[in-house]
Amino acid sequence: IPNSGHKYYLQFTTEDYESGENAGSCLATVLYSKTKSPPVVSIKCTRTKDQKQTQEEDNRLYQKIRRQTKPIIGNNIPDSYGNIEPALEPAWTLAVAGSSYIMWEKSTENLGYFMAQVKSVKQWMRKDDFIEFDYTVLLHEIPTQEIIPCHMRLTWLPGHPLKVKYFCASENQGLEDGSGMESGSAAGILHERGANF
Amino acid sequence: LIPDVQELVDQSMPRERSTHRQVPEGYVYTQYHPMEEIYQWMTQIQKSNSELVTQHYLGKTIENRTMYYLQISQPSDKTKKIIWMDCGIHAREWISPAFCQWFVKEILQNYKSDPKISRFLQNLDLYVLPVLNIDGYIYSWEKDRLWRKNRSPHMNGTCYGTDLNRNFNSSWGSIGVSYNCSSEIFCGSGPESEPETRAVAEFIKRKKSDILCYLTIHSYGQYILTPYGSTTKPPSNSEELMHVAEKAAAALMGKYGTSYEVGSTSLILYSNSGSSRDWAHMIGIPFSYTFELRDNGTHGFVLPSDQIQPTCEETM
Repeated sequence: IPNSGHKYYLQFTTEDYESGENAGSCLATVLYSKTKSPPVVSIKCTRTKDQKQTQEEDNRLYQKIRRQTKPIIGNNIPDSYGNIEPALEPAWTLAVAGSSYIMWEKSTENLGYFMAQVKSVKQWMRKDDFIEFDYTVLLHEIPTQEIIPCHMRLTWLPGHPLKVKYFCASENQGLEDGSGMESGSAAGILHERGANF
Repeated sequence: LIPDVQELVDQSMPRERSTHRQVPEGYVYTQYHPMEEIYQWMTQIQKSNSELVTQHYLGKTIENRTMYYLQISQPSDKTKKIIWMDCGIHAREWISPAFCQWFVKEILQNYKSDPKISRFLQNLDLYVLPVLNIDGYIYSWEKDRLWRKNRSPHMNGTCYGTDLNRNFNSSWGSIGVSYNCSSEIFCGSGPESEPETRAVAEFIKRKKSDILCYLTIHSYGQYILTPYGSTTKPPSNSEELMHVAEKAAAALMGKYGTSYEVGSTSLILYSNSGSSRDWAHMIGIPFSYTFELRDNGTHGFVLPSDQIQPTCEETM
């Protein structure tokens, strides 16, 4: 759009992160403006799974975590060989969800991310029903190929939006300017898939 | 020869596995192996298949380790065209060296029983470099799993590593690189500044009139990438390059349904200069491809070992 920015029209399908099953499709527009950041997004998705099923899965995950008598603590998930200990899988799953929020906020027209690895996770036991985890996650940044460590604090209760607070190490050189520290706090973003972005 | 090349990249897994004891007994191809074991494996492979395999010196790494490639060549009185494949130019992409080892094993296990393979070997020699960035690979085992570059010291040893896939003499330093050593895409102090790059480049230059196809294996992303990264201008044989790559992607998908995207790096991925694939094509090697193996980002570089077999099988 002359003198204004770039507008993208997207049509895409989504799949379950673990099973690869089709999870629905979306239509979206993304407007990167020359002056404003972040981009303006409008999106509409249709899900293949119904709410009830998703709720059940959320509850199962929640129960799995609550059943553990000791706080969940771990390093290098997956490990160097790509393995994830079954006991740490729920923590990894939540890290993926939380990281996707960080990546959503950090990505630009020219920078994209994947979650490369959970460097460390520590569960904070709470008196209420919420689950809380402290993470260091490593994000793989494209096309710079950098590995960005981010500190992430995540709070969750099924039926409530995932709460993510994060702080990523800064980029002090490279193709794009990234001076200064980034921090962000969020309330009410992800609610399983297809949330109200 | 062109149909031959298509078939080589299309090659699907032979149905029957022969019980020839031609591969080192007990070597587990479905696990990741440290460099020491890969060195031993190369020696063993040559010993057990000496009629077909010879191990050759290619050069030395910056930390003075020896680089070897394997030549798989059926004795014949005619000179054959060459297909070159290197793996492990980026340290953290462990599935790549795993694939090179698997590939060698598959060829050696099946060349007598599989008519496609025996036909290739009548007309083509295969040169395989299982680990190009040896120092980096070792570093990713011992110190930092997500290391990418080689281990060349800069700034008085305060900063390490050049991205070997930005170090080749193909529009070197022009785009998609950093001139700063602390970057993961640092292109080095000049084109071919790194001994690993020079070792590969000098060899390929010497043999270039016989090299039909240059393959370089990476992860992740599931792409078959054609030249160029440094410009969107298509290569002279762009149609043919795409045609062969598309056939390969289709054959690959036929195995387990894994989809690979095909196209020029600058168009479907991002711009970069100094890549080995661009360089190989620029010096005249007609078929030059980068394979980005599994996965799509779920595990990324830390691909579980239980995916080694399906990844390698479909890529064969």
